[in-house]
Amino acid sequence: MGREAILKSIKENKPTGIPLPEIDLNNFIEDINLLEEFKEKAQVVGGTINELESSETIEDVIKKQYPNAKEIVDCSKKLTSLTSISISEETNPKDLQNIDLAIIQGEFGVAENGAVWISENSFPVRVLPFITNDLVLVLEKEKICQHMHEGFQLISERERTFGVFISGPSKTADIEQCLVVGAQGAMSLSVILI
Amino acid sequence: MAHAEKATEFNKDEAKVNWHDKALWYVREKRDKSAHGVIGWEHLRDVASGIKANVLSNLDNYLIEFEKNAQNNGIKVHWASDAKEHNEIVSKILADNNAKKVVKSKSMLTEECHLNPHLEAQGIEVVDTDLGEYIVQIAKETPSHIVLPAIHKTKEEVDELFQEHLGTEPSGGNPEYLTNEARKHLRNKFLNADAAITGVNFAIAETGGIVVCTNEGNADMGSHLANVHIASMGIEKIIPKEKNLGVFLRLLARSATGQPITTYSSHFNKPAKGKEMHIVIVDNGRTEQLSREDFRASLHCIRCGACMNTCPIYRRSGGHSYDATIPGPIGSILSPGKDLTKHSSLPFASTLCGSCSNVCPVKINIHEQLYKWRQVIVKDVKQPVVKKSILKVAGGVLANRKLYNFSGRMARFMLKYAPRFIVYSKLNAWGKARDLPEVKGQNFDQWYKVKRKK
Repeated sequence: MGREAILKSIKENKPTGIPLPEIDLNNFIEDINLLEEFKEKAQVVGGTINELESSETIEDVIKKQYPNAKEIVDCSKKLTSLTSISISEETNPKDLQNIDLAIIQGEFGVAENGAVWISENSFPVRVLPFITNDLVLVLEKEKICQHMHEGFQLISERERTFGVFISGPSKTADIEQCLVVGAQGAMSLSVILI
Repeated sequence: MAHAEKATEFNKDEAKVNWHDKALWYVREKRDKSAHGVIGWEHLRDVASGIKANVLSNLDNYLIEFEKNAQNNGIKVHWASDAKEHNEIVSKILADNNAKKVVKSKSMLTEECHLNPHLEAQGIEVVDTDLGEYIVQIAKETPSHIVLPAIHKTKEEVDELFQEHLGTEPSGGNPEYLTNEARKHLRNKFLNADAAITGVNFAIAETGGIVVCTNEGNADMGSHLANVHIASMGIEKIIPKEKNLGVFLRLLARSATGQPITTYSSHFNKPAKGKEMHIVIVDNGRTEQLSREDFRASLHCIRCGACMNTCPIYRRSGGHSYDATIPGPIGSILSPGKDLTKHSSLPFASTLCGSCSNVCPVKINIHEQLYKWRQVIVKDVKQPVVKKSILKVAGGVLANRKLYNFSGRMARFMLKYAPRFIVYSKLNAWGKARDLPEVKGQNFDQWYKVKRKK
């Protein structure tokens, strides 16, 4: 009943013929260093940046930064000596409640807001980046776009299931506007640039 | 109760009002800083406004396109004409899945539909999981702001609430401790929930997908852990194309809190394997608002709350004084369309300064619509005798030059020589909390004539 009534009412009441405007991306041209801008913004939103030096491995960084992490899920497949709990599409999401650290491959970063796009192809259980205590996103330095318009261009051909832009760790300011990091999602977010 | 009376209540605690005023102004300043950092910000606003206008002119077709694409992706789509239908649909989905425990993330629409009491009456446990919403839920209140639901509460008040409901230790209102206690409590609720209810920030016709934005991650914790995800959306949440998100996601968080983007912008296109996803599309008065040419642009709103943070009336009267689901300037142009008599005082809760329209990311002419609602209201709703008589007298005086000059002289004389208790009588609403300006001996006209002779 609702559907037909709603559609009929819209048809009767809507304005006519307003065209869909096109965005002019020339308005956003800026001469900036994408990598530097991304690094700055990712920290403004509460994240940590680790630029891998040539002598270092991702494993070195993780051992140093999360010495106490025991339950680790590595979806980036970049760890060799650290043991990773293996998960699959069949894993019950509730079984991930005690995960200390999840490592996920980011597809690209966005310079204007420090966000990283990750899609379900890179992590088999959707709740993982949220339920893990700490989150590490691995990102190739070259894969940084300027703004969200370019970002949506980059994912326009993806297989659409679930994906998320993540910018910093979970946070809230709901108690007297005091910023507290670590609300319901991951307590920290670290981006490792390779 | 009219807005002014409720605002008087809120103003009894002066220190709290001052804090509220400053806290929200600080958010407004963060918005400015963030917006000014974006080259082409005004172009973004223009395009956003244009997209929303196009959406309204093609809303039926976009909704049909959205429904088809969502269904092709395995999402179940429902339609509700009003709040009652919405609540019944949600109940039915929960009953079909034998769901007794529900976690909810922020959705002003479910507030508008009063979903919680409806479900609770059926023995279903509903937990609001946005921290601010959780605070107002256990306080048995409603959100006083659409982005900062508990902005009217002090940290000491939250401390007491948590002691009572979560058994926390007295902490003098330590935000980190309290947030962490809530995190532990809510984790448990997420892990045991049968179903999750979320709102929708944007629904994309072209793909049939929805986007939900949060900072806390609560919408994702809920929807990915439970077996059933129900997302409720007003019909106006539709946007035509996925690439339009580029425009709106750049505007939303910057306008709301000054962040460059929310922590999580989650794109749901298909239910996870073995899970169910439902979308409920709700009218509840929106098509009626669509019919009002002067007011339909109010449906452009993306619920950022910038108009509230900037409004001198909102900041000093508090969200609850509006007695409406959506408070503040945008609420004051939406609510009269729902119940003109109940909300007839809201369009007057404004100085018409226009700051709301200036910060609106989708360029709604809020202050002009407030003025237009006033014109509707004085015709359709009985006005207080005092206001009516004063305006009638004022109209007479302003239309008659001699009478105007005489009244001016009288007023200057009275303000100079009449005793204070007469000048500041009950009729003088302006003088309630401030003094009238000092009176000079002559009016401008007289002053000008004297000046010219010299």
